[in-house]
Amino acid sequence: MKNLLYKEYKLCLVPMVPLFYLFALMLLIPSYPYLVAAFFTCNSIFYLLKQASLNGDMLFSAMLPVPKADVVRARVRFVVIIQMIMFILLIPMILINHRLYPQGNPAGTDGSLTLLAFVLVVFTVFNAICLPGFFRDEAKIDRMFLLGVIGVFGWIILCEGFMIAAKVAPQVPLFAWVEGHLDCYPTTDGAWRAQLLVLGIGALIYGLGTLLTTRRAIRYFEGKDL
Amino acid sequence: MPLLDVRNLEKRYPTFTLDKVSFSLEPGYIMGFIGRNGAGKTTTMKAMLNLIHRDGGEVYINHRSFFENEKACKEEIGFVMGEFDCYKTATLQKITDVTRRFYPAWDEAAYRGYLKRFSLEENKKVKELSAGMRVKYALALALSHDAKLLILDEPTSGLDPVSRDDLLDVFRTVIEDGTRSILFSTHIISDLEKCADYITYIKGGRILASTDVDAFRESYRLVAGDREHLEVRRPKLIGCKEHAFGFTGLIRAEDAPAFAACKVAPADLESIMIYTEQEDGHEEPAL
Repeated sequence: MKNLLYKEYKLCLVPMVPLFYLFALMLLIPSYPYLVAAFFTCNSIFYLLKQASLNGDMLFSAMLPVPKADVVRARVRFVVIIQMIMFILLIPMILINHRLYPQGNPAGTDGSLTLLAFVLVVFTVFNAICLPGFFRDEAKIDRMFLLGVIGVFGWIILCEGFMIAAKVAPQVPLFAWVEGHLDCYPTTDGAWRAQLLVLGIGALIYGLGTLLTTRRAIRYFEGKDL
Repeated sequence: MPLLDVRNLEKRYPTFTLDKVSFSLEPGYIMGFIGRNGAGKTTTMKAMLNLIHRDGGEVYINHRSFFENEKACKEEIGFVMGEFDCYKTATLQKITDVTRRFYPAWDEAAYRGYLKRFSLEENKKVKELSAGMRVKYALALALSHDAKLLILDEPTSGLDPVSRDDLLDVFRTVIEDGTRSILFSTHIISDLEKCADYITYIKGGRILASTDVDAFRESYRLVAGDREHLEVRRPKLIGCKEHAFGFTGLIRAEDAPAFAACKVAPADLESIMIYTEQEDGHEEPAL
């Protein structure tokens, strides 16, 4: 596995991956749907998959002395590493965001643990659509990416729409609770507890989603004719 | 005991079937794998290595089931599918640096030797190499990890005659200690004549013959005769070409006495392949 990850790093990594980490800086923009920053990491992963496809990486990897399933596991782990780096980069951005805009984000989710949880779900949705599709038929990665974009933006619109609704209608008890506990920089015990719970749920979804995505991708790849 | 043992390998496509392909190869020998385009050579090789999903059959490498010991078996195999066509913008150095990590028996000195022998420059990118040089790079990688079995799909295509001859010398050197074998597919029959000990002939997804080259050649004869000799003897002809003055054709060696009135000569591999591939057993003269 270590050698396969090294192969991913040396032969598959495209410049867009580190470059698109700069989109973490979007959290410094006042009034912006910050979840979009996570999409750009997905976008860079699309470039990685596309380039791997053009480079004949599947056949090269399958010819190496490794089980076919490990080729899939390594690719998924590499994608997880890329996403986790973005996740970690977003943490200081949230802290700076709070310093710059203590009043919050009127255009969507505030910089918070809830935002990080939503980011994990963005990654889960993208991975679930694009990775098995890539291992089923790499030639159709463009189509898979389009479906991934629809899925990811569906989730982003849902989250940001809900948070905007919570901001404009605080008289609704549920929205008032969300604004006080989830959609804010956590300063109270109640907000910390609620947001840690949401982040835990997000992590659980990401972990389980990655597991199921890997299994599905392995099933496709093992039955695939190269 | 065979180093490679393929048993009843099957792969079914809607329009093509690899039909219970079986053959074996002892250590210390070179086997040529021949057949026309689409006969199933590459499909067989890929199915052997689990690169395509087989529908049945077993493959044993050094007495171990390939499909149950894929990693260990692949470490003992060097596989080349024509020219190296991956990571075109990467340098050879970078690709080798990754590849060598997967092989515990990687032999850096041997690799350097092949780079020199094949005039390959490590700082070049794959896209900067000619087709022939890409084949040589693929071979250098395959030959540098002490593989017991080399499986080479069209390794000599794209090479100039001098490089081909050099490569065939490499093949002979590789197997000379008696512990390694080479299975290689080719359309260039003269390469087989120069270095193959055994031959496996596949047609339409079925193995027609798998035997040593001399026995294979000896089991056929070329015949040439007048038209008057043709009609009564046609059923015994494997394939024939008619022309204005008569015919030439291929027969089994045991049928030679029936052609005593014709010219009978030893058959060469190319003629055997050409006549065998004639679907209806003969070819009408060109107008």
